Amino acid sequence: MTAKALVLTGYGLNSEEETLHAFKTVGLDGHLRHINDLIDNPAELKDVQILAIPGGFSYGDDTGSGNAFAQKIKLALMDHIKEFVARDTLTIGICNGCQVLVNLGLAPAFDGKYGERTVTATYNLSDRYQCRWVDLKSNNANKSPWLQGARQLHIPVAHGEGRFMMSDKTLSRLQANNQIALTYVHPDGSPANGEFPVNPNGSTADIAGITDESGRVLALMPHPERGMFTWQRDDYDYLKDAAQREKLQLPERADGLVLFENAAEYFGIKKSEKAA
Amino acid sequence: MSRIEVLSPADDGRAVHIQNLLKSAGHSAKVRVVDVYTSKSSQLSTPAFTEAVTNPVTQTLNAKLENFDWALEIGFLPGVTDNVGHTATELLTLAGDNDNTPCYSSRLYLIESKADKAAIENLADQLANKLIQRIHIKDAAAFANDGGMDVIFPEVTLAHEGAAVDTVNLNISDEALMEISQKGILGRGPLGLPLIYMKAIQAHYKELGRNPTDIELETLAQTWSEHCKHTIFASPIDEVKDGLYKHYIKRATKEIREARGEHDICVSVFSDNAGGIIFDDNHLITDKVETHNSPSALDPFGGAITGIVGVNRDCLGFGQGAKPVMNRYGYCLADPRTSPKLYRDKAKTNPILSPETIMNGVIAGVEAGGNCSGIPTPQGFAYFDERYVGKPLVYVGTIGLIPREINGKPGHEKCAKAGDKIIMVGGRVGRDGIHGATFSSVALDEGSPATAVQIGDPITQKKFSDAIIKEIRETGLYNAITDNGAGGLASSVGEMAEQSGGFHLELEKVPLKYPGMAPWEIWISESQERMTLAVPPENCDQIIEMFARRGSEATVIGTYTDNGKALITYNDETVMDMEMAFLHDGNPETPLETTFTRGDEAEPDLAEPLPSCHPEHGEGSQINTTDSSAAPQNDNWTYSEALLTMMGRLNICSKEFIATQYDHNVQGSACLGPLQGKGRVYAETTINRPLLTSPKGVVMSQGITARYSDIDTYHMATAALDTSVRNAVAAGVDFDQLALLDNFCWCSSDEPERLGQLKRAVKAIYDLAVLYGTPFISGKDSMFNDFKGYDENGNEVKISAPPTLLVSSIGVIPHVDRSISLAPKAIGDLVYLIGETKDELGASEYYNQLGVTGQNVPETNGEQNRFMYKLYGRAAKNKLIASALPVNLGGLGVTLAKKAIAGQLGLDIDLGNLGDMRADKLLFSESQGRILVTVAPENKKEFERTFKKFEHVYHIGHVMHPQKLNIKNLLQLDIDKLDEAYKAPLRDY
Repeated sequence: MTAKALVLTGYGLNSEEETLHAFKTVGLDGHLRHINDLIDNPAELKDVQILAIPGGFSYGDDTGSGNAFAQKIKLALMDHIKEFVARDTLTIGICNGCQVLVNLGLAPAFDGKYGERTVTATYNLSDRYQCRWVDLKSNNANKSPWLQGARQLHIPVAHGEGRFMMSDKTLSRLQANNQIALTYVHPDGSPANGEFPVNPNGSTADIAGITDESGRVLALMPHPERGMFTWQRDDYDYLKDAAQREKLQLPERADGLVLFENAAEYFGIKKSEKAA
Repeated sequence: MSRIEVLSPADDGRAVHIQNLLKSAGHSAKVRVVDVYTSKSSQLSTPAFTEAVTNPVTQTLNAKLENFDWALEIGFLPGVTDNVGHTATELLTLAGDNDNTPCYSSRLYLIESKADKAAIENLADQLANKLIQRIHIKDAAAFANDGGMDVIFPEVTLAHEGAAVDTVNLNISDEALMEISQKGILGRGPLGLPLIYMKAIQAHYKELGRNPTDIELETLAQTWSEHCKHTIFASPIDEVKDGLYKHYIKRATKEIREARGEHDICVSVFSDNAGGIIFDDNHLITDKVETHNSPSALDPFGGAITGIVGVNRDCLGFGQGAKPVMNRYGYCLADPRTSPKLYRDKAKTNPILSPETIMNGVIAGVEAGGNCSGIPTPQGFAYFDERYVGKPLVYVGTIGLIPREINGKPGHEKCAKAGDKIIMVGGRVGRDGIHGATFSSVALDEGSPATAVQIGDPITQKKFSDAIIKEIRETGLYNAITDNGAGGLASSVGEMAEQSGGFHLELEKVPLKYPGMAPWEIWISESQERMTLAVPPENCDQIIEMFARRGSEATVIGTYTDNGKALITYNDETVMDMEMAFLHDGNPETPLETTFTRGDEAEPDLAEPLPSCHPEHGEGSQINTTDSSAAPQNDNWTYSEALLTMMGRLNICSKEFIATQYDHNVQGSACLGPLQGKGRVYAETTINRPLLTSPKGVVMSQGITARYSDIDTYHMATAALDTSVRNAVAAGVDFDQLALLDNFCWCSSDEPERLGQLKRAVKAIYDLAVLYGTPFISGKDSMFNDFKGYDENGNEVKISAPPTLLVSSIGVIPHVDRSISLAPKAIGDLVYLIGETKDELGASEYYNQLGVTGQNVPETNGEQNRFMYKLYGRAAKNKLIASALPVNLGGLGVTLAKKAIAGQLGLDIDLGNLGDMRADKLLFSESQGRILVTVAPENKKEFERTFKKFEHVYHIGHVMHPQKLNIKNLLQLDIDKLDEAYKAPLRDY
């Protein structure tokens, strides 16, 4: 049986269709589910293996991004969600979904304490929404199934509140546990060191994404689903031109798809084609 | 406790921003931000609520507030849309408040600074708009003394009492009729109707033997307003008896469609909320561009967000409902670095908003609206002229995708049937936006109503938008759908009832934001985020339930009928009883007459810049990069200085700061974005793939050349159209796959001379569109873009926006691998200029820089261009072109520089074979119909063969290794220097 992904929708989440498309592209089953319908039938979580909270503007980012949506989940679904992550499942929160996951305390969830809030993704240091392409380095020491084999990723960010902030203690612990999954880097792989716009939001320690201790829960601000095909890339015109000159076929798949391929592989689906 | 305060950390991004604002005003400061929630709900202090508004990682709830000199709080005035408050109210409900007790948001800034009170007041003026917001300032002592800020509930208290309606006596003199038109019924705000209309209404009711009710008269004012009826485009004008719209615009499309026969790309034109063309066998693409000018002058943020979210609804209201897949924008603004002293009133107590405030506000409004709605906003422009100072132009557009067949019926068709229930879905009705339609049909002056200003609520809309497009549409539960825009229910119900033949609306059923509204207010309110549906009675419960499950309120408010009556009751009392025929067609014809005078300034005789590639004329250090100081340069200025100056002009320099704030990647559809090349040049054309499963792309562009109107609006209009078409063609779309939208933003349209300019412009786009075979599918106009007020000496001034036509283009490209970006890709590639360069600098950017207008306005050679664009399409299809950038404002010199910046590659250029025109004219002429391309050497032969029969193809150089733009005998400039000149002017906004 093919593993199933449930992609949440509603109240201003908006990237559900492309996120579902990513799961389907790598051979997974999946469907969209409105949060109100999941609240009515939380048992559905027992039938799925992947939970995705996609990007968007749930509740318009009012009262702090992801806060209101997290509260809605907390009041009605939290036990079911905890049960879900305790199973051998995968969870991903992208952008607004990332903000929801950290507000729910599903990451970093030190000592397996799901529900404890220790990290926030808050207002960009520039106080401006930033839509731009970034380069990310994957932390080799992080054993997240989502990131296996992903060394450097070129995918976009689009957010007004993506700056990871936390106490020094939390930061040390994230570092010690290798729970920092992705960091912003220069195209050559060297750390951004806070430099704008390489680090687009002033994020502490250039953090772009974190995981829980198991690595099965990934919360990341950048959008892999917007950089999963070569034609989506900001340098598509260059890649296309170079391929034409060298009479080469342009690969269809791009960096962002790696995460979804990994999810598929985790549930036993073989990669059909390595991403570019 | 009825007020809670959430303190954010010192290095909060929002706090840093305020610190920077104070710093640029000369005050060092430390700022902290406190988010405040005020409510009478007993749930306010419960953890179930506070946890949803406080982030414990960085924020503190109800901390003791100390260590500041000033406390500045900004909240909303009663009745103004408070989106954060709205969400907080929902959170109170989640926390257990069962009474829907309202929660109000405000923001408190704690400022530690030596700045005086005046400085804090200045800051407050920068942050808040007094028309919609309240400002409270306390120093530390007062704060301590009062025990904090004041607890304020901005509740609306209305007390409409007495009769449901007032009858308006129209048996009065012409003067008295006009007084009602100008000041409104009992001074409620302008009806904005000309005397001829008032007299027609007077005569009609005389015939009926009674006087109209207030609601009837308001409805007529709404329906017959210039904003809704487009009377200027519909009226006979000189010899054009069927009016400009029918005679030129509609006819152009009709002739083009007939000539195209089975190759017609149009499916729905002019009849719906948007126009629709074929995307593929199963889908249509829709497009609509709106303007939201008058509200944006008073509240730029509110005006712009309401505009973008409103045009999204035009998309949702197309056919059975199209899914918004792209937004676009355009702003016509005054120089944000200037601060003209202009006032709305003689006493100078009511200044206009500064150009910077307007610019920042409109950009932020579309950012909030577009980003929150999950619709990519890739393409747009900002165009600057000082005459937009009192009335900025704000264009907003939305492209939609809709199946060609839904439930076995054509997706673009709909029809409200007699017996269908009228269902309103979305936001509730308040007093906001009353008289929006009538107010935007007149010039802005002191009496412009504050109630016309609104703020959009994109999340309320997103909820019902998703419900309609993703769930309800496919169920076939409704027969028709349209949006509530200008005119509110009066407009949407009135229009839909034309399909069925009448309606009966029960006003007391309309859900209200607060009690106490009068019937006429409910009927014409323009409260945002509402759609109107026609639903068979047996489907009503199901559709209301489906909306409710998605957090949207839907309500039956009446019935469509076929008895020819526009009937409104309020608690069973008839308050309006009109014939549909009179309502929609009772307005008398108002024939218009025009005159036209061409701009008569002679061509100037200007000194030519000096060549700067010789050591004795090195690059000058004093580069002038401000438009406002336009004046003849000193006699020694060089070509280098000239080009660098041009690159920094507002109409040429980079608008990257807008592009990065707008989410252009959401929906995963972006292919060719707004910032192209390694050097991130701001592009005028973008391409998206609206369907992840199809390689087809949608190409969008726009053309605007308003300043050419100073010489001749005919050539202004053809240049705008040609620019829009050429931009799209250059990016790879086939010429015959393009459709156009027209947006006329005119001024003083009650003056024969302005109408003469209009008539020429409309005829111009008819001529060129028919020649090109590019049909118009939708359009909109805004006819009174004038500011009337006073200067700093109290003298009356009237500032009219230049007659402005925006032409937007949209087209389908069969595969995005055919797309052509503007950035040169490889060293050694050949540079060609396609198209003819003539001595056409009249009203150009170069002449404007030098303080002159001249006479030789660019004239579009349609025949020549059409031939070239067809050949170009062939070259694009065969992938012979490595990069392309149309030559637009600023001419060839600017285009060469932008290409070099985009590629971060040098260009070695020789203009020798372009003709014997003076070099500055060659460089800065704005002749239309030109595209600058680069071609890989291996494609040279085939490229040249493709264009063999076109005489104006010039090989002018090649892409080279040194990072310089080298134009033989004229200049040699480092790309870094050009890059800086191009990016510096607006970088810090």
